[in-house]
Amino acid sequence: MNPTAPPPRPRRRRGQRRRPVFAIAVTVVFFVLLYLPIAMVVLFSFNAQKSLTIFKGFSLRWYEAFFHDSVLLGSLGMSLEVSLVAMLGSVVLGVALALGLVRNKGRLGAYAGLIMMVPLITPEIVTGVASLLLFKGLGVTLNSGTVMIAEITFSISYVTVILRSRVAALNPEVEEAAMDLGATRWQALRLVTLPALLPAILASAVLIFALVFDDFVLAYFTTGVDPQPLAVRIYSAIRFGVEPTINAVGTLMLAGSITLIGLALAIPRLFGRRGGLDLISGE
Amino acid sequence: MTPTTAPSAAPEAVPAVRLDHVGKEFNGSHAVHDLCLDIAPGEFFSLLGPSGCGKTTTLRMIGGFADPTEGAVLLSGEDVTSLPPNKRNVNTVFQSYALFDHLSVADNIAFGLKRKGVPKAEIRERVGAMVDLVQLGGMAERKPRTLSGGQRQRVALARALVNRPAVLLLDEPLAALDLKLRRQMQVELKQIQREVGITFVFVTHDQDEALTMSDRVAVMNGGRVEQCGTPEDVYERPESRFVAAFMGTSNLVGGVFRDGAVHLDGGPALPVGPRPGIAEGSAVDVSIRPEKIWLSDFEPGMPVVNGVIRETVYSGPTTTYLIELAPGVTVAALEQNTARARMEDRWAGGETVELAYDPEHALVLSH
Amino acid sequence: MALRTPVRTERPAPAKNVGGRGRRPRPSAAGARIWTWLTLPGTVWMSVFFIASLLLVAAISFGTTDQLGDPRFGTDLGNLKALADPAYRDVMVRSLGYALLTSVICLLIAYPVAYAVALHAGRFKNALIAAIVVPFFANYLVRMYGWSVLLSDDGPVLQLLRAVGLADDHTKILNTGFGVIAGLVYGFVVFMIIPLYAAMERMDTALIEAGRDLYGGPLRTFLFVTVPATRQGAAAGMVLVFLPAMGDFVSAQFMGGPNQIMIGNLIQDKFFEGQDWPLGSALTMALMAVLLLAMFGYLRRTRKDEAEATR
Repeated sequence: MNPTAPPPRPRRRRGQRRRPVFAIAVTVVFFVLLYLPIAMVVLFSFNAQKSLTIFKGFSLRWYEAFFHDSVLLGSLGMSLEVSLVAMLGSVVLGVALALGLVRNKGRLGAYAGLIMMVPLITPEIVTGVASLLLFKGLGVTLNSGTVMIAEITFSISYVTVILRSRVAALNPEVEEAAMDLGATRWQALRLVTLPALLPAILASAVLIFALVFDDFVLAYFTTGVDPQPLAVRIYSAIRFGVEPTINAVGTLMLAGSITLIGLALAIPRLFGRRGGLDLISGE
Repeated sequence: MTPTTAPSAAPEAVPAVRLDHVGKEFNGSHAVHDLCLDIAPGEFFSLLGPSGCGKTTTLRMIGGFADPTEGAVLLSGEDVTSLPPNKRNVNTVFQSYALFDHLSVADNIAFGLKRKGVPKAEIRERVGAMVDLVQLGGMAERKPRTLSGGQRQRVALARALVNRPAVLLLDEPLAALDLKLRRQMQVELKQIQREVGITFVFVTHDQDEALTMSDRVAVMNGGRVEQCGTPEDVYERPESRFVAAFMGTSNLVGGVFRDGAVHLDGGPALPVGPRPGIAEGSAVDVSIRPEKIWLSDFEPGMPVVNGVIRETVYSGPTTTYLIELAPGVTVAALEQNTARARMEDRWAGGETVELAYDPEHALVLSH
Repeated sequence: MALRTPVRTERPAPAKNVGGRGRRPRPSAAGARIWTWLTLPGTVWMSVFFIASLLLVAAISFGTTDQLGDPRFGTDLGNLKALADPAYRDVMVRSLGYALLTSVICLLIAYPVAYAVALHAGRFKNALIAAIVVPFFANYLVRMYGWSVLLSDDGPVLQLLRAVGLADDHTKILNTGFGVIAGLVYGFVVFMIIPLYAAMERMDTALIEAGRDLYGGPLRTFLFVTVPATRQGAAAGMVLVFLPAMGDFVSAQFMGGPNQIMIGNLIQDKFFEGQDWPLGSALTMALMAVLLLAMFGYLRRTRKDEAEATR
């Protein structure tokens, strides 16, 4: 018996709730095609030979090669650094913006709410071009700092969107209660509001870390020559001759981001709230 | 006619709360209009009215959560109009309780004391005493989310009371509880108020609640106080059509005041005695409570009018008769089903009966 | 107005040190300034690093390059005129076609998947939707690379198709327009599934049962009940897929050949190889214009839908 079937119930007329065979078939094919490319990368990262199409036995040589490649390790370090800074910067700015936005009914709030939405509908290539022009126009040398600024700009919107609905759902009387009991507005924010938002803040922080670490387009437009973020290195490697080392790096990155996303989805549950899927679906 | 109440007996006492011509405007319309109120220390004072009457806005202005657009708020004689909530010696029990979910019950209660920098030992002692007062023994370390509605309500009360405020503001604190629990909490709240001796300002839309708990009630409507007085005042002697209709059930009948009687449109005249201040020939309403109408055993000198029974509604301890005085003019009369009243003495539909009343109980309300 | 105080005959004396009776300055109890202070840093940051930079793109698109290839501001319309050049125009039309086709194919895939997961997965619903979402947060390049290996000329997919006789030795997926679209679909289909899934979850299942009674067959029920009830989710998904697909340049690079380049590849080329930033900026503006039009159309539609719903 298929475990997904609804509990047995009396036969209903004309077979209502009959299982949609076509839809389920499409779904199965979809899941196979969704995971197969990822599975291939993982599989060939353990290939003993250089072939990218035929598996010739298990080996860790490509992982070894990666851990001895000082350029790739430098890129890994830079990516971690950029992700960490972008995470901290965008969470601080984004949480503050979400708090202010929801309560700021004036023109500033309306303007902030509008410009915060624009990055979400702007393709990354446009953001990348714009950032590049700005940095060049300001005469700034491209390096990890410019990548950080661009990634923060891009990530603030995500943090704000995730936090905004949480802030709006807060009971305003709770903050008032804190002030009623002698807290100043800042204290009420620090002692009552931020703890209430903590699960969403942590989840968005993890999400941003993963997004920035994996981001390629923005990093590509705003990075200097050396070092380059890991995603940019992978791009060049894929484009100009593939080394199986890329499979190993790709597998490590997949493992890292899947762990982080799993964590982001699980955080709200750890705090006893409902699941974190709405993190991704927006509202 | 105004009965003496505690505050008017000692007019020199500084009121715990004084609202001095307070008004609040939202987008051009007045939520509260030119409000003047004195609330005496130790009083249990209720703001009663339908939703949107401005009672919660009034409470929020006392608490510092809303700024009056006109007038001044004084607490114990001190003008606090421009002080934020954390600088006012008042505490609030919110309708939603507004507990801090990430803190334990004890930490919730201790929140205000910690803000004030009270020594740790004293905090522990006062929180413990307060937990006992509101009967939350054994729950101090639990998170609010794991408590029942009634228990959460007690935490909210304890969290406010532990600060020993001069005035405690309560915003419909019992509204979320079921009827039985609400009755129980009404009694308990009143007991606690007597015990701690703190001024309570209580907002409610439930007239029973206001009548049973309060020393005085202000009935609000459309941002104004329609009437303010003891529960007996506002119930027995409503001064406006709104108060008469809002407080319990009332027979409101329109007519013209002439020669000490109200002449109903197309019906009999109801003698009401002299009413100074009501002009001869002016259109008025008469209000008589159903339980103030007698159907038998009249006392000498009572005015009597005739009517026809249209409906008999039996509801256990009482029976309500709907009696037609004139075409289209019907009043309700309430009879107690006491031991002396036998079943066969009840009237049936279509019978003509005599109604009597004390003219003092027939209130004349000008339009 | 009558004064209702216990002592009705005397008004309370105006309090001492109460200022003017009229409108007083807003007391600090409001404390609304804190929200301004919280809003400002993020707003300033976004204005400088995002809005200003977009305006800079617009300005540079009117510029020229000097001998060194560095951009110069100007009032030159040459770049905008160049957009009408057949070489660029064809790429733009192709990008538009690819992005639209991608949206439609995503819709066709996402409907059955969202339907099966939302209404027939029982208690595995959340696990399945997480299983759909999680890979999309994995590195885009690595996923796309794996996808290109899978669809390569001697990759598993074509081998399977050849084995069952659906393809011959000359059939190719990579280096064709189909390959680029396959890449875009793989990249962005999740943006279609999530809003559709949300719409189907919100849908009252009693509707479907009523539809069965009314229309009989599952296909007719699906067309006349499920599709109209989830129309808004589908529209949101179309936009969410169209926007990134239109601006993508990785899929065309990994899955396509020189004849399948998209506007994103042109932009990348002008900034990294050709060093013609003003023209690259003009192309970026053209891209942005198409996307804003799509967004505007979508917003107008949803407004109309909402207006009809509330009527």
